[in-house]
Amino acid sequence: MGFGRYLVIRLLNALVVLAIVTLVMSSLFVKVAEKDLENTIIQKVNAEFQSLQQQGRIPEDPDAWRAERIAHYRSQYHLDKSYWWRVQYYFRNTLTFNFGKTKNPVFGSEKDVMAILKVAIPRTIQLFTTAQIIIITLGILLGVKAAQMVGSFFDRALSILALVMSSIPMWWFGMIMLLIFSFKMGWFPSRAIPDPNLTGWPHIVDLLKRMTLPVATIVIVSFGAWAWVIRNIMIGTMQEDFIMAARAKGVPERKVIYGHALRAAAPPVVTMIIFSLLTSLGGAIITESVFTWPGMGRVYWIAIETNETNLIMGLTFVNVLLYLGGVILADVAYGFLDPRVKVGASENV
Amino acid sequence: MRWVDIKKSLSEFWYDFRRQKSGLLGLLLLFLFIFTAVTAPVLTSPDIPQKWQGFWLDNPKNVPPTWINTLSSQSMAPHLTITGEELQKLITKTDSGYLIKVSYNNEYDIPPQDVVIKDLTGDASGGKLSISVMVERPDGRKITLLENYKFSGSIVLQLGSQPQVRDNLIKWAKEEGIYVDPLQEFQYKTLMDATKVIFGELNEDIFERPKPLTGTYTFTIIINVPEGSSASFENAKVIFTGRTYGKLGTDFKGRDILSGIIWGSRVSLVIGISVAVFSVIIGIFYGVTSAYLGGWSDEMMMRFQEFMASIPSLPILILMGAYFGGHIKLWQIVVLLVIFGWVGIARVARSMALQIKEQVYVEAARVLGAGTGRIIFRHMVPQLLPYAFAQMALSVPSAVLSEASLSYLGLGDPTAVTWGQILHDAQVAGAAVNGYWWWVIPPGLAIALVGLTFVLIGTALDRVLNPRLRRL
Repeated sequence: MGFGRYLVIRLLNALVVLAIVTLVMSSLFVKVAEKDLENTIIQKVNAEFQSLQQQGRIPEDPDAWRAERIAHYRSQYHLDKSYWWRVQYYFRNTLTFNFGKTKNPVFGSEKDVMAILKVAIPRTIQLFTTAQIIIITLGILLGVKAAQMVGSFFDRALSILALVMSSIPMWWFGMIMLLIFSFKMGWFPSRAIPDPNLTGWPHIVDLLKRMTLPVATIVIVSFGAWAWVIRNIMIGTMQEDFIMAARAKGVPERKVIYGHALRAAAPPVVTMIIFSLLTSLGGAIITESVFTWPGMGRVYWIAIETNETNLIMGLTFVNVLLYLGGVILADVAYGFLDPRVKVGASENV
Repeated sequence: MRWVDIKKSLSEFWYDFRRQKSGLLGLLLLFLFIFTAVTAPVLTSPDIPQKWQGFWLDNPKNVPPTWINTLSSQSMAPHLTITGEELQKLITKTDSGYLIKVSYNNEYDIPPQDVVIKDLTGDASGGKLSISVMVERPDGRKITLLENYKFSGSIVLQLGSQPQVRDNLIKWAKEEGIYVDPLQEFQYKTLMDATKVIFGELNEDIFERPKPLTGTYTFTIIINVPEGSSASFENAKVIFTGRTYGKLGTDFKGRDILSGIIWGSRVSLVIGISVAVFSVIIGIFYGVTSAYLGGWSDEMMMRFQEFMASIPSLPILILMGAYFGGHIKLWQIVVLLVIFGWVGIARVARSMALQIKEQVYVEAARVLGAGTGRIIFRHMVPQLLPYAFAQMALSVPSAVLSEASLSYLGLGDPTAVTWGQILHDAQVAGAAVNGYWWWVIPPGLAIALVGLTFVLIGTALDRVLNPRLRRL
């Protein structure tokens, strides 16, 4: 099977998964939104009735008027259609990025879900990519170092650190960081929302100051586990014959490690990088809300708190989309980096 | 398998496991956790889950643990409740009623927040009862705090915020020759921290910057019972509301955080272990079945597995939470976490089962006419048990973390005492902003410790049971 065909199958598979996830989400959401919409309609009708009352134009038959208004809104929100009709309606809209509007504005005055997402996604990427780059650099450096001296004090300390850190909830660590460095010491601002009045250089300084605590939290919690995994991969590669051969040839140790071993270990590392970037997007929900970082996770939190079904729907869809895209990207990268991965063989792994 | 074989393999396993120092440490921690979880009703009190949601009226709010005194230069009064038999000893009967003498040794830089006389019940069929409170200070001076305060039924008397007490304190200070600024007098009457004055040195600054006067204070409580009426001291308490409380302090509702942490261990262990066990069992059977059946069924099962793996679990869990009406019951959390937990294990189990499937004895069993179920149950799954045990231990931390995260988001079971719930309350009450570290740090440490426990056990098991996968 050629690489092109593999890619097509992978893409088709992802599309099917996306469709099914969206269908499941839609059927859940229609149920959740129903109750919500019923309440909204009653509120709207009541408000209309009051404003009519104030103008002194009370309808002759209030009950009939009320029923008529409710029916009007019900048809406007498609509540008069059957459950399955609404599910497919939601499903189609979501698949075509037609997420609709939120009830209350998020981020100032923005009500359009798509526009909110366009503001939030780059902010999340900005925070997590920065953190991830630091984590990867630290992880590779420390992991390689530990692999070089297996069993040493440094190696053991790193393993223990990795184990301890991977059991800590990131958001809890964030709370502690805030407690110490923001409220006790006062070194960093506690809210990450940037000051809108600043431009140019002061804006960048302000932004960096606000990013320090969240980035530090993510890095401290994650780099240990990363270094540990890199160490394990490297130990495996260092025992391979071609490393021995390189050493025997008299290639300098630095070059053996970074030129030969790390290059051979690249495929799983790249896959890991892509996946950790993806999972950090999902896991960001709580971390971002602890630091009030105005990204995807924070919006997700707001959406849950204020019951913004359209927004949750859009966010979840974009999350799934990013995730699937990342999975494909990881597969493709693996195929490019490791020629041994032939599709037929990888199917059985 | 004969009993002797089991015994032998167990002892061999233990021989290997014993050499894993980290595994032993994990085991020790696990026993500690199980002990805490099992004895929670004895260590604290059995009614904690019922009363957790309410306000704990007898306790001070948002105060740090008592041991903080050893770290700071200023000592703060701990919480003291005198109740039951201890109180009965202090009560003497007089001609006109009762007399309670309570001594309190104030050796702290910051005196108690309040002095509360609580749940003293009077049956006023012959006329109302009245209560008077006097205090004798270490400097020999006597203050009448309250005179003939009439009551019937059950009373809660907070001397620190009682207006009559404030009036009496100002009157007493004037009599002692302290100048009280008439402009300030009204302010003192409404805002004064009365206990700081009661426990303060008598000088010009007693209202503005009271300095603590150390020594023994004797509170005399006189209860006047008219003929035909009666007083009951059965539930009565005298509380010196502390500036510090217990081993881990209290939260905004006055709840003892230590009890919360102890009870939370139950939920964490139960959720963590049950999620791990169920998802590993399902994952193993799924993977093995898929590998054994092969062909189209394998293809279908793996597509479904991929589908499950593609769903980002936290957003969907949150979504489900919203679907269940904002709160997910504990068993629902278990079910949801299992639904997302088996996926990765199924994949690995399948790849392992593919190798086992090719072995001769499986083929022999098939030729002899063994059914699919029998081959999977008797011949293939047992081969995967070592992997399963290590995986179970390793999946516990993520299950504990997920439950804590959901609870922290406010989607957890509000009727359960969990660490995530405590952290949720802390976040809502702005504990980090207000510097209530004793409310934020312990639950997180507890979560991390459970995680560490199972990671230690899991990696040790992994090294012992899966020599093929042995990591250096």
